Amino acid sequence: MSEDDNEDEMVGYRQQPGKLPFAKPGSGGKNRFSRPTNQDSIPESQGGELAQPWGSHRHDDLVSGQVIGKPTALVDGRWKVTGQAQYGDDIRLPGELIGRIIRSPHHYARVLSVDFSKALELPGVVAIATGADAENKFGVLPVTKDEHAMAVEKVRHVGDLVACVAAEDEATAREAERLIEVEYEILDSIHDMRDGLKDSELPIHDRGKYHIGDANVQKRVFQEFGDVDGIEENAIASHKENWLFAGVNHAATEPHAVVANWDPSGRLTLYTPQQVPHYVHRALADVLEIPMHQINVHRTFVGGGFGGKSDPFPHEMCSAILARKSGRPVRITFDREEVYWINRGRHPSRIEMNLHADDQGRICGIETDALIDGGGFASFGHVTTYYNGVLHTAPYEIGAFHYTGARVWTNKPASGAMRGHGAVNSRCAVETGLDDLAEKLSVDPIDLRLANLLPPHSATITGFRVTSIGMRECLERVKKESGWDEKFRKMPLGKGIGIGCGFFISGSGLPIHWDPNKFPHATVHLKIDMDGGVTVHTGAAEIGQGSDTVVAQSVAEVLGLPLDLIRIRSKESDTSPVDLGSYSSRVTFMNANAAISAAMQIRDELLDATVEITGAEREKLVIGDRRIFAKNDPAVGVSYLEALHKAQEDRGALVASGAYRTPPMGRTHKGAAAGLAPAYSFSAYVAEVSVDVETGQTKVEKVWAAHDCGKALNPLAVKGQIIGSCHMGMGQVLSEEMRYGRSGHLMNPDLLDYKIPSVHEMPQVFPIIVESNDPEGPFGAKEAGEGPLLPILPAVCNAVYDAVGIRTAELPITPDRLLKLIERKCKAEGVDDPIKLPSPRLEYSGLQAVLSKRAEDHAKRDLERRLNDNRQPYHNGALFGLDPTTPPDEVDEKWAVNVIPSEEYLSEPRLAGSAWKHTERRHRGDY
Amino acid sequence: MRMPPFQLHTPTSLDEAISIAEEMASKNQEFDWVAGGTDLLPNYKWHLNVKPNVISLAKISELTELNETHIGAMVRLHDLVQSSTTHPVLAKAADTIASVMVRRSGTVGGNICLDTRCYWFNQTEQWRESIDWCHKCDCGTEADCRVIPNQNTLCVATYQADLAPVLMCLGATIHLAGPNGVRSMALCEFFQLDGMTRNVLQPGELVTHLTLPEDVAEWHGDYQKLRQRESWDFPEAGVAAVWKKNGTTKPTELRVATTGLESIPILHTKEVDTYLEGWSGAESINDLAESIRKAVKPVQNTWFSPSYRRKMVKVLTRRACAGLVEEGS
Repeated sequence: MSEDDNEDEMVGYRQQPGKLPFAKPGSGGKNRFSRPTNQDSIPESQGGELAQPWGSHRHDDLVSGQVIGKPTALVDGRWKVTGQAQYGDDIRLPGELIGRIIRSPHHYARVLSVDFSKALELPGVVAIATGADAENKFGVLPVTKDEHAMAVEKVRHVGDLVACVAAEDEATAREAERLIEVEYEILDSIHDMRDGLKDSELPIHDRGKYHIGDANVQKRVFQEFGDVDGIEENAIASHKENWLFAGVNHAATEPHAVVANWDPSGRLTLYTPQQVPHYVHRALADVLEIPMHQINVHRTFVGGGFGGKSDPFPHEMCSAILARKSGRPVRITFDREEVYWINRGRHPSRIEMNLHADDQGRICGIETDALIDGGGFASFGHVTTYYNGVLHTAPYEIGAFHYTGARVWTNKPASGAMRGHGAVNSRCAVETGLDDLAEKLSVDPIDLRLANLLPPHSATITGFRVTSIGMRECLERVKKESGWDEKFRKMPLGKGIGIGCGFFISGSGLPIHWDPNKFPHATVHLKIDMDGGVTVHTGAAEIGQGSDTVVAQSVAEVLGLPLDLIRIRSKESDTSPVDLGSYSSRVTFMNANAAISAAMQIRDELLDATVEITGAEREKLVIGDRRIFAKNDPAVGVSYLEALHKAQEDRGALVASGAYRTPPMGRTHKGAAAGLAPAYSFSAYVAEVSVDVETGQTKVEKVWAAHDCGKALNPLAVKGQIIGSCHMGMGQVLSEEMRYGRSGHLMNPDLLDYKIPSVHEMPQVFPIIVESNDPEGPFGAKEAGEGPLLPILPAVCNAVYDAVGIRTAELPITPDRLLKLIERKCKAEGVDDPIKLPSPRLEYSGLQAVLSKRAEDHAKRDLERRLNDNRQPYHNGALFGLDPTTPPDEVDEKWAVNVIPSEEYLSEPRLAGSAWKHTERRHRGDY
Repeated sequence: MRMPPFQLHTPTSLDEAISIAEEMASKNQEFDWVAGGTDLLPNYKWHLNVKPNVISLAKISELTELNETHIGAMVRLHDLVQSSTTHPVLAKAADTIASVMVRRSGTVGGNICLDTRCYWFNQTEQWRESIDWCHKCDCGTEADCRVIPNQNTLCVATYQADLAPVLMCLGATIHLAGPNGVRSMALCEFFQLDGMTRNVLQPGELVTHLTLPEDVAEWHGDYQKLRQRESWDFPEAGVAAVWKKNGTTKPTELRVATTGLESIPILHTKEVDTYLEGWSGAESINDLAESIRKAVKPVQNTWFSPSYRRKMVKVLTRRACAGLVEEGS
């Protein structure tokens, strides 16, 4: 098929209502739609003539057998293990000053005055700044800019910034802190997220005419898809649970640190361990009122991000302001406590989860209500509110989806984006709910899932375009390798096994900051001079996840070079192309695609030069290790350098630029863009646990962790991500929690009392890589950084049920919480000693056979769809008898999409849904 | 986080150490002893009761003697664990302390004299300002206790060290030295019920060593510890139990002590005596465990709730005494 065929279907890059390009994947800058590949051209190194279970890939003929798919040590690893990597606090500039931040001791207060005259007199104090020095607002999302460098009028939580000071050394700066006198008028603070839904005399923020009533509701969402009204009639089994999730922090090893320096030419360089340098670049320009081109954001090595370094931060503004005032470099390094004040961790949440199954064992309804506690600022919260709903509409085919979500401000440090952004808590609730549904239907929970999966190349109920999906293989692998059938509901009291699944975006379809008509999502520049080394300029933020390595691998593979010929320059905004940074698991998918497209241009030039030297037929040329030769006569060929020098003859260094944009996707209802991604990752984990029924202590013994990452470009890094995700998720499910005391203070802002699991708590993890060969991913790859975190939480919760017959609905499952439930269960069972509790057992019902049969049929259906290029569209709803080729709301009005709550709903809303009782001020008539 | 400035003194003998201390006292200068530093220095970084002078015991070799019945105050916890002369229950308890790195540095004397801990106390200065200061360390602010408000006489910070209950059970004697000479006492008498006073040490006085009775090897027992994680964490509750059986099925002697529950470790003599006489195996263990649960009064100032810690004391006591009903012990 030619590119023109595609043009008929898609015009430009504007999102088109309801258009879902099932058959024609697109990617890579101007060449949106790549040429179809020849099934025969799959290289030997990638399986050669062997059967390709997932079909061919458009990048197959770019494989040179160098590095893709091979376990590869991270290219920056040696810098780290030899201690030579410079993190934020390692940057030392001559004449530097040390900055300290004066923080609010009050939860909520008006700042009446700041008197720093005494501090300024202290010898060694060079500059002091307050909110008055920078009144422009900023924030990571353009729609919710609500932060100031320092308090302009009010402080909104203990630890909120009030002023900052720069001094010759840290001791002086700390002394100056004590001398700054701040007068506050203390205001009534709120700490319970439920109070945020009520009208308040003085809401924490005022959004003017867009403010929702007089409440502290920052964002609310209402969504209905599918046959919501039919749920009750169709359901034969229902699950209902009210969850309470504690907030957790990323707890990255490196605390935040920043150095700002104004150079003699009047430009600002900001050295900061940022995940998203471009957003801080924009925010600095806004706050400092200087054009962006006068700012160079230098991303240092990042000692762990996990989402905690992806906002533009007020302390970054402070260092720049102090540096401007003092004319000297200013370094600010956080104490661990300050990391908790800046937070941006996972939202404390109250989630009501209702799941319904019909007599065919189909999931005929998911009803979710999520109230999330945003703390003092918006951060990424707008997106989080959507993600808590839409990211659990797959991988299952569902009959109805009803979601109400609200995010409220409270007087706590701001919540934000954290690994698995917005999906983790509600996924945990869904997956434990499915386990409970399976129990109620008396069927195996894995078979229940296998019989309800969406096929490859389908659309979810919310209209997300799912391309590759390795969910089935993930489930089958963990089932087999964990010995599920011998263990499930068969183990003695205190021993249990549980399943959990995950689904996550691989890059967000719409960038936060600009219209995709104007800029690509990712750009990579290549430059090769006569030495043959390839300099790669990319703005992708290496945060330890291996983004430098994956970009280097992509270039090396296409050009047939070893990795040591590739040098990555990804640190400075002056030299790297604009990139949206490391969040939403976008880097591998987008940057590697951009890198491939840039490398393809160089590759073409090298091939042309080879033709010129050898006179060989261009189509017959292949690229091997530093040699380009004819496939039919390998003696005919040239070395890489020969070809390179020939290509450089008339022009010097070869340069190329490659970019990536997402294809048009999604539907058009309000909020349709949230959760869109060019591909999705899938995962299934089985956890085996021991529970001490006398103490309530849970120990995770083993985890079988299958993750579909499309194609493991670097299996070593993928396994590392899986094991690391297990650790982080295990922390949230068993011990980590930001604990607020009775006075609203955060009681454990330190790593002794914030209980991250130690090596003793780590289970044996068996990582299982599933490769579904995504048609648009680079060499077939999708994300592996966040998705693998999701399933561990529900897998552990479900295993705890299998061990002691108790469903938990509050995380973390600390021993004291679990013991309370065990005691309650003992009472209910009439047992005086917990060791006499019965162990859960399961007898299958007749439905089990129905599900097994359907799972088998669907496995065939999926295979057929993934190998057949002329497949038909498949919309969620087909399982319920609707026409698979048309969006269900177009054929059945019962399935109409609805994003506004009805009067009837508002008469009896659920918790977060009650946010809709308020009228937005502009509609209320007072503006 | 920055260490506040202090003057460090490094005497090489006990006499020199005491004379430095004496001199400080005569000049009305405040000071702290530092042994391994794993407790004091983190607290200093938090600006908790910082003194202008610190006398290090690190170079005093006479405090490092270790054998069956003599344990020097400067014996590293790691060495105590590794030594073949260490009583097995004591070794077990020592092996659960903090992490291997902390044990390499931390000492026996330091562990015995561990400062009491509290969620409202072990915080930075900025944090304590936000609660309007803490009674235990911010004297001069007239701060009230934040755990149990409206009483600023007693500090309820919790003693969370592992060695004391085992040593108390084994009948250890603690030996002190100071400007007024040396003195010794049973370890149980060393502690004083107040989270601030903590123990009987007078200004300028320090722990030199502990001694164990000659029959220490005849005692069997166990130490059980409650904590969230198997490393790093201080005991949320700890129970030591040791006994002599002399070949009979009943213990002829039994001692049980707890830690991590109040401002001092407690030897539960009264509770044990109640049940020892009419001992009937598992049932007595259960009754004893229940009576100890009732005897301890933890407060809400550590990771786990007081009610959970009390319940666990019962479970831990049962488990610590499990060897009493097993064959051959």
